[in-house]
Amino acid sequence: MSIKKTYSTLAHYLSVTIYSIKMALLTIVEYPSNILGWLLSNPIQFLLGFAAIRFAVEQFGEINGWNYGQLAFLYGISVISHALSMIFFVQGWFMGFYVIEGEFDRFLTRPMSVLYQFFFTNINVFGLTDLIPGILVFLYGCVKTDFPFTVTNVVGILVMLTGAVLIRGGIYILLGSTSFWTKSANDFGQFTQEIFDKTTMYPLSMYPESLQLILTFLIPIGWVSFYPTSELLGIEHSFSTGNMGVWITLGVGIITMLITGFVFQTGLKQYESAGN
Amino acid sequence: MITVSNLYKEYHVTQKGKGLGGTLKALVRNEKKIIKAVNGLDFHVGKGEIVGFIGPNGSGKSTTIKMMTGILTPTSGEVLIDGRNITKYRKDVVREIGVVFGQRTQLNWDLRLEETFELLRHIYRIDKKEYRETLEVMNSILGIGALLDKPVRQMSLGQRVKGDLTAAMLHSPKVLFLDEPTIGLDFEAKYALHEFIKEINRVKKTTVLLTTHDLSDIQELCERLLIINDGILVDDGNLTEITEKYRYMKPGTA
Amino acid sequence: MFSKYLFVYKTRIIRSFTYKFEVYGNILMQTIIMITTSFFWRALFQDKAFGNGITADSMMTYTIMSSVLSVLFITGVERRIQESVEKGTIAIDLMRPVNIFGMFLAEDLGSITALLIQNLLPILLLGSLLIRFPAIVSLSAIPLFAASVILSMAINWLLAAIFGMWAFTAISMDPLYQAKKHLIRLLSGSIIPIWFFPKRLAGILNLLPFVYIYQLPLDIYIGSASNAEIYSRMLIQLSWVLVLGALFYILSGKSLKKVLVQGG
Repeated sequence: MSIKKTYSTLAHYLSVTIYSIKMALLTIVEYPSNILGWLLSNPIQFLLGFAAIRFAVEQFGEINGWNYGQLAFLYGISVISHALSMIFFVQGWFMGFYVIEGEFDRFLTRPMSVLYQFFFTNINVFGLTDLIPGILVFLYGCVKTDFPFTVTNVVGILVMLTGAVLIRGGIYILLGSTSFWTKSANDFGQFTQEIFDKTTMYPLSMYPESLQLILTFLIPIGWVSFYPTSELLGIEHSFSTGNMGVWITLGVGIITMLITGFVFQTGLKQYESAGN
Repeated sequence: MITVSNLYKEYHVTQKGKGLGGTLKALVRNEKKIIKAVNGLDFHVGKGEIVGFIGPNGSGKSTTIKMMTGILTPTSGEVLIDGRNITKYRKDVVREIGVVFGQRTQLNWDLRLEETFELLRHIYRIDKKEYRETLEVMNSILGIGALLDKPVRQMSLGQRVKGDLTAAMLHSPKVLFLDEPTIGLDFEAKYALHEFIKEINRVKKTTVLLTTHDLSDIQELCERLLIINDGILVDDGNLTEITEKYRYMKPGTA
Repeated sequence: MFSKYLFVYKTRIIRSFTYKFEVYGNILMQTIIMITTSFFWRALFQDKAFGNGITADSMMTYTIMSSVLSVLFITGVERRIQESVEKGTIAIDLMRPVNIFGMFLAEDLGSITALLIQNLLPILLLGSLLIRFPAIVSLSAIPLFAASVILSMAINWLLAAIFGMWAFTAISMDPLYQAKKHLIRLLSGSIIPIWFFPKRLAGILNLLPFVYIYQLPLDIYIGSASNAEIYSRMLIQLSWVLVLGALFYILSGKSLKKVLVQGG
């Protein structure tokens, strides 16, 4: 593809994305009781949730070398990447429903990537309600750890968050794509959330070596928050990431997306060849 | 405008045996059955034609439509829209088609109608001026202007169908496919749909292919009928010819 | 829009065989919770003890039993009320000779009975095999524990039913279900026991009914409270059952009147 065409395609997808964000915001206006409900529920889950952990840890001073300020940082930044993945990628949980109901047909009749349309024409604006408690706990953690907001650090956080969201989203896509083959709409959203919660919001070093290995090299959840955060905060763990932690996270995120995107395309071919 | 050549679609279905014995047997040896949904279709639709695509349920009708709109991949054969292969070049060729599914809507349920149109304007990269003009035309035929501000979830079925028709035509496609568009519509809405199709066909020379079980659709719109059964084209001719031919035939002998 | 999918999708589950997935899913979820929380306690406690002899081991028993008990606290009543209101059958339902809420209670008891074998046993087994066997502190604590659990179930069900009354107002219930779930989870000591909380906060929480769902029976089970304390708290637990029962009775009467006036 020529440079001009590439630019033109990117501009196209960008303009649709911007408009979809606008549509998502308009949805709030149409369903005010929903936003109120989630504004109530999600902060309870995360603010109270963190508070409870903090109380427990405070009694002992620290857990695995993490004091509660550092825990707040870890917890907060995990909730932030969770919120972002909820905004853009939560639809992956419902892929089964789309497959069974033949809702992908509509996307196939339009001149854009099906994967893109599936996520980006249905942005879940209610994920913003997760973002608020995440930011609050994170900032609390920054204060308690005297985290310096240098340019390097800010860039590091942004890079890390991008990678984290890509890893989370990628895993949702992978799980959702299974419905192309199983042809059933299983709700794995609950477990995925529980597993992600327990492995990203707390220090991975809590878990036995074998589990840590799996979560580092097989299902790259460790890269979502634990490894890059350890590095940002200067906490040591079993292996050194040599100042590259956040960039490795970004790399892992991109690779995850590529792999799961490929799985999705394969599943879509199956859909196109067998109908629903 | 639409050329269907040597079109075949086969499905592989795993036969599940009955009861426990069958299930156990299936674990050892999967009996696969091949279903020939579409068994060799050949036809051509010229620009500006309005064609009715009819046949009983299970005839291969929906499967064919899905292949013609880029949703399903044929087992063999090809579908050309304006000379281009829709399966191979999906993202490009679908610009030339508009699709209305009678039972399903492409309108965003939560928002006002105009929001969906704007989204489509971005997706199809429609020029703003052209977009306004097209909406004007749609308004004069369907009165869509009055509905632009209405949330889709508050619309009646007839209004929603008008919305879907407009949505399908926003990018001025050369071909419009309609899959059972008049199901559940009252007389007034059906009339509006018929007028719509006749009008866009007249003004924009849009080629129209619709599947239907509705007699009034056929009588009002279709100069030509393609009859499909058991995956093959059983007949192809104009309305009068066919009515004459089958007038004295018993059902099931076609 | 989110709720549209959730609603339709849940209806599908009930109809199709993927219902089994949800059932086994609950076992899987609780196992994940048990295991991860146990690692948390082990990492936190190390070899230390807390308060009056609580160790990592006691916390693991606590965690396993919390998951085991969670099976008994599964309720469907709030969703049944919502369904009834949304489908419009509430008017007819309320006028049947059978008390509709009695029906819901019976349904929930029925499913819990089934879940005893289907969920509770597997969770107990998995907890015992993967972590440790959750032995009760002493055999003499069993009757008190059993009594407390029954009262807990009553409080939990009544809270769910009262909460379900919100369905009569036209609010979206889905986020509220999540809110309720988290409130109970966090304020009842089901994951983090209340004794870790600062004194003032714990004091406030002890005035609310939530701690009488998980905290009390679990305290009895691991023996982290004196007998005197236990007796007085069980008295409070009983009072909560009566208070909530009365509240529920009043609210259900009101909703009946409302429906008869408005027609469903």
